[in-house]
Amino acid sequence: MKRLLVGAMALALGAIPIAAQSLEDLNIQIHGYATQGFLYTTNNNILTTSSSDGSPAWTEAVVNVGAQPVPKLRVGVQARYYLLGNFGNAITLDWAQADYKVNDKIGVRFGKVKIPSNLFNEIQDIDPSYIWALLPQGFYTISNRNSLLSQYGGVAYGTLKLDKHLGKLDYRGWGGEQTIAADDGYWVSLREAGMNLPNGLSGPNFGGALHWKTPLTGLMIGGSDIRKPAWSSELTYGPLTGTMNTRPFSQWALFGIYEKNKIMVAGEYNKLNPPVTLNFPSASLVIPFPVDNRSWYGMASYKLTGKLTAGVYDSQMINHAVPLSPARDSMDWVVSGRYDFSQFLYAKAEQHFINGTANYYDANMNPGGLKPTTKLTILKVGVSF
Amino acid sequence: MKKLLYAFLLVASASIFVVQAKAQVIVIANNSVKTSEVSKNDLKDVFTGASTSLGGANVVPILLKAGTAHEEFLQAYIGKNDTAYRAGWRSLVFSGQATMPKSLDGDAAVVEFVAHNAGTIGYIGKASAHEGVKILTVK
Repeated sequence: MKRLLVGAMALALGAIPIAAQSLEDLNIQIHGYATQGFLYTTNNNILTTSSSDGSPAWTEAVVNVGAQPVPKLRVGVQARYYLLGNFGNAITLDWAQADYKVNDKIGVRFGKVKIPSNLFNEIQDIDPSYIWALLPQGFYTISNRNSLLSQYGGVAYGTLKLDKHLGKLDYRGWGGEQTIAADDGYWVSLREAGMNLPNGLSGPNFGGALHWKTPLTGLMIGGSDIRKPAWSSELTYGPLTGTMNTRPFSQWALFGIYEKNKIMVAGEYNKLNPPVTLNFPSASLVIPFPVDNRSWYGMASYKLTGKLTAGVYDSQMINHAVPLSPARDSMDWVVSGRYDFSQFLYAKAEQHFINGTANYYDANMNPGGLKPTTKLTILKVGVSF
Repeated sequence: MKKLLYAFLLVASASIFVVQAKAQVIVIANNSVKTSEVSKNDLKDVFTGASTSLGGANVVPILLKAGTAHEEFLQAYIGKNDTAYRAGWRSLVFSGQATMPKSLDGDAAVVEFVAHNAGTIGYIGKASAHEGVKILTVK
């Protein structure tokens, strides 16, 4: 029923002939978008859906309300309904913040804020923003998105003009508390093994990012680093009660993007190596939770016509903590196309060639075991205003 | 697949060398905006949300909803069509980084608004009347 209501809402929103309503007197704007996706896989079921039979279990609807009462101050909130297989099917808060921009050199925002790490973290959940139906999953794992996208805290940001021939430098710094919810995609393998984090996993989260807008127009090169101090949370395993513990670690990424006229080329490299253990003192049990992911991708897109854009990307993720096997890595070749019927309505078609099972899959939806390769076809339609 | 990728990149790279025609639009600003000229890069930054200042002062971009002047401005100074341009702004809105700039019907509405609102900057057709606003030279 929820999905029917969301679908009806999406159609109603898409029929609005004019862009967002603007309550001029109060300087309030309302925006939104909705998407409906369809997944089909040749072998393994993907992202907790029954994709091998064809699955429409991928629906999103977002409402954004913002106001700018004075030129330097913006306040806003964004809520989302999200369903992907067994994930979501609930309304969540994307962000809610106050943003004060003193000038181009310094601005601050507080509340539930998006984490401005990596190349696409701030927009990874905004389907109308890019050509891809799925961003490279080694970096922007859709099943973890709700937890990794934002945190309660603050961001300081700004742009510094460098010497005339050196371009500009965008900086971002953030701090706050992040929660990886108990039902997050991170914990699928734990839950399937009978373990549970009743309170999820949360703790302080700090970081910074630099984007160098080079003198070559359209080229940006950057890096980000996320620092997490020690985190700990209650863990249950049958009759046992223990803790999941992470020691301090950092997650850094290097990236670059070139956009000019009809072409976009981008790439990113990321390392994720959290030192995690599962501790059950009553049983004198310490279980390592091995993750040593090295991920990279290269992507390119080209605007063939005013309405049609095509693109390709190659993405690889290798978990060096896992022995050699299909479960150690996930390699994904992707061909994608997007057609913009208007500024309000678009459609995407995407073909993935997936080799390896380190990403995308869960055991419950694949009781017969995982095949090492799968082809994934995605069709998606979206409305945005 | 690799040959397809190489061919794709070869064709796409040719688009870097597209030559832009001389724009038939002018950039206007409220008289409170101190500067009289703006670089192409700074103009693009303001109209894509990357910057909110010109000449050290806060500015607010005002857009046309549609029309020849709008299309020419986008082609000459932004390098995107209207759909891609507004999608870029929506990315900023949905990620909490900006609010959507005001879009007005026609050059006369833009001139009227810019003339009476401090810090605003817009664009109109070269031949359109523009009393009460200043013209910024794009260098």
